Amino acid sequence: MKLTIGHLYPDLLNLYGDRGNIQCFRKRLEWRGMEAEILPILSGDAIDFSKLDIILLGGGSDREQELVCEYLKSIKQDFKDYVEQGGVVLAVCGGYQLLGKYYKTDKKVIEGLSILDITTEWESERLIRNIVLNSPLFDTPVVGFENHGGRTYIGSHTPFGKVFYGLGNTGKSGYEGVVYKNVIGTYLHGPLLPKNPQVCDYLLERALKRKYGQDVTLEPLKDKLEHLANGYIAGRYSDKKYILKETIKRYT
Amino acid sequence: MRLRSVLAIKCAKCTSYLIKKLNRGSGVTLPGYVARLVDPHILSAMAEMVKEKTIVTMGTNGKTTTNSILYHALKAEGKKVIINRTGANMLNGIISAFVLAADKNCRLNADYACIEVDEIASVRVLPQLKPDCALLTNISRDQLDRFGEVDITFNKLKAAVTSVPKTKLIINCDDVLSYTLASESGNPFVTYGISEQIFDDISRSEIRESIFCRSCGKKLEYDFFHYGQLGIYHCPSCGLERPEPDFTASEITWNDGLYTFSMDGMLIQSTSRTPYNIYNTLSAYAALNALGAERTHFQEMIESFDYGNNRESIFTINGTRVQLHLAKNPIGFQQKISLVLKDKKPKDIIIQINDTYQDGEDISWLWDVDFQYLADAEAASIITAGTRRHDMGLRLKYEDISCDSTTDLRTSVTRCTKDGTGNLYVIVNYSGLYSTNHMLAELEKTQEGGDMA
Repeated sequence: MKLTIGHLYPDLLNLYGDRGNIQCFRKRLEWRGMEAEILPILSGDAIDFSKLDIILLGGGSDREQELVCEYLKSIKQDFKDYVEQGGVVLAVCGGYQLLGKYYKTDKKVIEGLSILDITTEWESERLIRNIVLNSPLFDTPVVGFENHGGRTYIGSHTPFGKVFYGLGNTGKSGYEGVVYKNVIGTYLHGPLLPKNPQVCDYLLERALKRKYGQDVTLEPLKDKLEHLANGYIAGRYSDKKYILKETIKRYT
Repeated sequence: MRLRSVLAIKCAKCTSYLIKKLNRGSGVTLPGYVARLVDPHILSAMAEMVKEKTIVTMGTNGKTTTNSILYHALKAEGKKVIINRTGANMLNGIISAFVLAADKNCRLNADYACIEVDEIASVRVLPQLKPDCALLTNISRDQLDRFGEVDITFNKLKAAVTSVPKTKLIINCDDVLSYTLASESGNPFVTYGISEQIFDDISRSEIRESIFCRSCGKKLEYDFFHYGQLGIYHCPSCGLERPEPDFTASEITWNDGLYTFSMDGMLIQSTSRTPYNIYNTLSAYAALNALGAERTHFQEMIESFDYGNNRESIFTINGTRVQLHLAKNPIGFQQKISLVLKDKKPKDIIIQINDTYQDGEDISWLWDVDFQYLADAEAASIITAGTRRHDMGLRLKYEDISCDSTTDLRTSVTRCTKDGTGNLYVIVNYSGLYSTNHMLAELEKTQEGGDMA
């Protein structure tokens, strides 16, 4: 079995270790004896969505997102159809914002793909820290790092998870990210997948089922190191004393 | 001098004395804070007392080494020079450097000041310091959890230099970000750059900032890359191109681990083991020229210069050669990996990754380093340490490189030096540098004692 992973605009959106997410998809397929083909799609390249099983849309700076927005206009409808037909998408940070209707910065409005009914507004204070989520999709916490100036309002969409520690979509809502069909949009990097193999396998399984039928299952891997890395952050922010210490440090 | 400034200096000196007496650390930032509380204009007042010139060094990589070269070059000409301590490059640390250098009459006896300035602090520091020159090493991603994104760093630096429009910039024109910044700022500037390809494939790093033209948005074309986004570039659309540098190093050769190069008519047989130190040397030399400083003893000074700076120290412990390296961002780490690979002998490697505020709490950058090369590094063992040792372990696991982890660095080092290959690399990020340096120095000393017994 083989999956083709399209990495959208790695020349523009390559912040926050996005390569780690790609590497995680690749290795977790290979370790199970499956094949992974990574297709870097550079700005200006034509995209054949029918060849793609997973799309990764990563993070970029505000300026670079503006450039990406131009390229997105030409693929808007195809991308939308891909999502509606159950195509798997992982969108992180800037990529998550671009799935929505618009991202309003202090200077201008960047038009998004309008795949999700969400909007993002820039505020000068960036939301930066470690973050721990509890997601109903998984029985282990999802951990990562958030660093965003945008506040994303998700309307009636289902959030990716409930914030256990950290700030999330708006810093106030108590929720983080969006799940829609086979799309996960999130601010979590770190990168997201290596420390959260449950999320990686969830997306891989969805993509494999879409391509090879509902009988496909993933055999478990030895994830000791993954669980140690995940458990370290989850454990750290379950400790009230540590949180208090960090909070004091942050404001002094 | 204003009474208030005198009082500020006295208070700062008392603070420093107390910190040292009470053994509460090295006391390089608190005295500056106290001085600023007493007199908010203390830095301007002190900076005006510098007899000849003031220069600041900024940028992502190479600040400390470059500033140190400047300091030693000026000292070699018999000048009295003020310098801030390694890492004390925020406003308070810089003020400390000045106030603690004052004599008991609160006078400053200095010909030059060489000040390393943090990118974020630069916006507040430069208007007070009003330096004659500002050297910019390069701009790349570093501590994104502090800076937000590299464009924010760019804008901060630009705001800082435009607030002092007479300050002459010394710019690495191989870095399109630095060059654009200089062109947009309106400040006078001189450039330095290297036109030969001296970085190998491994050190080149796939991670590049902004290879898109900042004026027209088109993708830049490159003849070749040095590393990161540094290289020989031009924009196919608007005509922006890497200029011919005012200062350059050429005929660069690498013999027995050390670099030799030509610069301004001198053939320099340097002690540098890494190509980025050629940049640091070249930029410092260009800056000395811009300052109008004497350079009679430059060659002599640089040929015996210790680029180590505690950041690349070598120890001998139990007969094992132990090298300590600092790697705190992707570009820096990539260079270290290239260095490790140039050493063909078998080796053991310990990598310590912490995530304190000084290190950057976000360790995503580990995934921007091309660790896959370590598979060919003849590494008999790789051990990860530090608060984020499991993240580091994961990074290696996803390149199919196996490793162990430790919570006790000292024991692991000792074991490696006794049962290992006789060749140990210890790579740490910022917060672990001083304690590890101290620990290795101690181990070196105690085993000497042990030998005699």
